[in-house]
Amino acid sequence: MPTAWPERDDNELLSLIQNGSSQAFSTLVERHTQRFYRLAYRYLQSREAAEDVVQDAFIKLWENPALWQPEKNSKFTTWFYRIVVNLCLDSRKRKSAAPLDDGMQLIDEREPMDETMIRAQEQKMLEKEIAALPERQRTALNLCFDEGLTNQEAAEIMGLNLKALQSLIMRAKTTLKARLRSIL
Amino acid sequence: MAMKDPRDEKLDLWLQRRGLTPASSDLAQRIILRAQQVPQIKTASLWQSVRELCAEFHLPKPAYVLASALTIGLVIGFSTPQDNDSSGKDVVAAQSFLAIDEAIL
Repeated sequence: MPTAWPERDDNELLSLIQNGSSQAFSTLVERHTQRFYRLAYRYLQSREAAEDVVQDAFIKLWENPALWQPEKNSKFTTWFYRIVVNLCLDSRKRKSAAPLDDGMQLIDEREPMDETMIRAQEQKMLEKEIAALPERQRTALNLCFDEGLTNQEAAEIMGLNLKALQSLIMRAKTTLKARLRSIL
Repeated sequence: MAMKDPRDEKLDLWLQRRGLTPASSDLAQRIILRAQQVPQIKTASLWQSVRELCAEFHLPKPAYVLASALTIGLVIGFSTPQDNDSSGKDVVAAQSFLAIDEAIL
C-alpha cells in the first residue's frame, strides 16, 4: 500500500519534485508555508511582503528543483531557511527607503492607557530597534526566537558555530537593552 | 552568585512574545496554483537524452542499438583482410623516391 502523502518525509518529497511531481510539491508547501512565513514576517513586518517572499522561495524551488542537493544539505528546513533569509534581506534592501509601518497612533497622555495599548506600543518600539540592528545580529535574533528552531539549527542556517551565534545574540540584546532602557 | 538583570528577563519575554500578523489562509493554495503556471527546468542525464532521442525516432532501446553497432563493427573489423606487406611497399617507394633525388644531386 503506497505511503500517504502527508506521511512522506521532506527528502522523499524533494526527490519526487525533482521528477516533476506537483503533488509532492503541494504537500511540501502545505507542510512548511506557515513556518517560513513567520520568519519572513519577523524580517519584513509586513504580511504582504512576507507572503511574497515565501511564494518566491517556493516557486524558485519548483522551477529549479536541482538546487536541492541532498548530499550537500542535511535538512530541507535548514537549507530553505537560508533561501528565505536571503530573499528577506534582498527585499529589505530594495525597500530600504520605505519607512517601517509606523501605525503607532499619537498618544494623548491625558487619556489613561490600558495594558493592551502599552504592550502594543512596547512591541512597536522593539520591532523598530530590531530592524535597526546590524543584519547578522537581526538574523540571529529572528532565528533563535522563532519557535521550533534550536540554537544549533540557527547556527547551522547562518553557517556559524554555536559560540559565534551566541555572541551575536548577546551583542544584539546589549544593543536593544541600551536603546530601550527607558521602557525596559 | 550574580543576580540576573531583570531587564534581560523582560527583554527575553518581549522577544518571545513578538507579535505576528497571521498569513492569509489561502497562501499555500496560491503558491501551489502559481507553480502550475511555471515550467520546471529539466536537467536530464546524457543517458536519458539518448533514450529520448531513440524514442523520438522509434529506434529500439539504446542498449540494443549500441550492442548491435559494436557487434557489426567487430564483424567488419575481423572480416577485412589484413595486408601485412603494405608498410614494406611504402618503405620501398620512399627509398626509390629518395634515390631519384640523390641522382639529381
